[in-house]
Amino acid sequence: MNRFGLRDLGVGIGLRTVHFGEILAKKPALDWFEVLSENFMDTGGRPLHVLERVVERYPVALHGVSLSIGSTDPLERGYLQKLKALAKRTRAAWVSDHLCFTGVLGRNTHDLLPLPYDAATLRHVTRRVKQVQDALERPLVLENPSTYLAYARSTMTEWEFLTALCDASGCGLLLDVNNVYVSAFNHGFDARQYIDGIPADRVVQVHLAGHTNHGTHIVDTHDGPAIAQVWKLYARLCARTGPVSTLFEWDAKIPPLAAVVKEAAKARAFRTASAATGTDGA
Amino acid sequence: MAPELALGGLQRWLQAVIEAPGPVTRALASREAARLVRPGRTRDVVLPSARLTAAERVGVYQGMYLPRMLEALESDYPGLAHFLGPAAWRRLVRAYVSAHPSRSYTLNELGRRLPEFVRRARVPRPAFCHDLARLESAVAEVFDAAETPSLADTDFVAVAPGDWERAQLVPVAALRLVALDHDAGAWLDSLRDEAHRHPRVQKRRSFLTVYRRNYAVMRREQTPAAFALLGDLVAGEPVGRAVARALGRRRAARLDGADAAFRLFRDWAAMGLFRAVERERSGRATTGPVVRGARGRR
Repeated sequence: MNRFGLRDLGVGIGLRTVHFGEILAKKPALDWFEVLSENFMDTGGRPLHVLERVVERYPVALHGVSLSIGSTDPLERGYLQKLKALAKRTRAAWVSDHLCFTGVLGRNTHDLLPLPYDAATLRHVTRRVKQVQDALERPLVLENPSTYLAYARSTMTEWEFLTALCDASGCGLLLDVNNVYVSAFNHGFDARQYIDGIPADRVVQVHLAGHTNHGTHIVDTHDGPAIAQVWKLYARLCARTGPVSTLFEWDAKIPPLAAVVKEAAKARAFRTASAATGTDGA
Repeated sequence: MAPELALGGLQRWLQAVIEAPGPVTRALASREAARLVRPGRTRDVVLPSARLTAAERVGVYQGMYLPRMLEALESDYPGLAHFLGPAAWRRLVRAYVSAHPSRSYTLNELGRRLPEFVRRARVPRPAFCHDLARLESAVAEVFDAAETPSLADTDFVAVAPGDWERAQLVPVAALRLVALDHDAGAWLDSLRDEAHRHPRVQKRRSFLTVYRRNYAVMRREQTPAAFALLGDLVAGEPVGRAVARALGRRRAARLDGADAAFRLFRDWAAMGLFRAVERERSGRATTGPVVRGARGRR
């Protein structure tokens, strides 16, 4: 159990437009849905209508891509107000976003851009996480991003940075196991060391996904099943955290709902077995 | 010296490289990026990996920017993207996002200025592209507009006859009126034709209501007279004044008698275009509703 007392929602998938019809009609056997915050903050049409039907039946958590917690631009108060309102409307179990910046000078690249991991950035992000938590009146949950470059000025590893950020700001973690694998490949560190190094009691949620290996680097494309090494890392994490809310992301080349549900269902067996034995099965 | 860049400078540099068009080597040498980090000093800022140089690693981000913008804009402007074809569409989007980079937390806002931009852009048939983009923009706006309950025709019957003269019809949020110089609606319809049998682009005035029923976006063509009357009503003209104007217009824009207005009101009620009837008071201000739509009617 995480230190926030946020309950284990079980296994879920992301709520995606292409599945709206199937979800409403078939009411799939899933424990919960993750909702992309920005897709529902400014719509009053069918997306919001579907979300309201989903919320009647399933727990949801909000997951954002535009908080830009690391940007040197001021936080957008209007964005935070809408996010808070959506969280209230959907009775969201928690609100998460990414450790990154998405733009500066008032612009948005709509990408999750990497931050340098040093003391100055830690102070900057800590201050902003506290501001966000004050505005939302709940702990912020931050996800480790997949990154394709590393800065020369970084003085700590990503898991050291996240650990320090959790301690200083009180935030929770959404640990994306696929991102750990992707970044480990891209930067040449040991993914197991990362999994073992994060504060387990801060992990509120886990992400799993597929990726694309270009040989020289891996891109976090969310366009297929997770590979065996990612499942193994997931089992290793579950051995540390116990059963933890887990979500399978599939955002490109999205197959019919049944295929995504089937992939998510794999998580159920892994997390049960790992948590029961306290090992990753290796 | 590059390593001493403050966090803000580092972020401005990476963003400048990502937003710059062309290969990453050219992007690194673009004016804004080179002002912050000299192109030959990328390695002072970004570490190489075992398989990629520092510049190539920045290029992973830079190479994903334009495809992301293309995908976002194509979701709002599928007709325009199809009409132009991949090469011209890519050129248009590259020029557009360079002039109007996203300034919102949502990509839904990205294409807001594309209709005006395309009118002056170097594209084939810019006037038609402008019409097509305006229509697609209206469709996108109606898709996302707030759901407001609409009046049924029985609600109109409940309005006392003496109240109609000064009544104002309040439109639902999901309604846009679009007057076009080309038949862009027919071209948009032809997107569904898998054999790609698109109509020939030609000038033809068309007057469209874009609205939503049961969360589906619909289009319906109106006559010039009906469109002008509806435009006045949507702008807040009281019914009596709007109908009087409609009867006094010239040629095709003139409404053919008060009975025609009555038939139009019934049509528009059936389409769910209005959410309330309010009584005008002293010119502009209005009192409470005479009739308001019931939530969850549909």
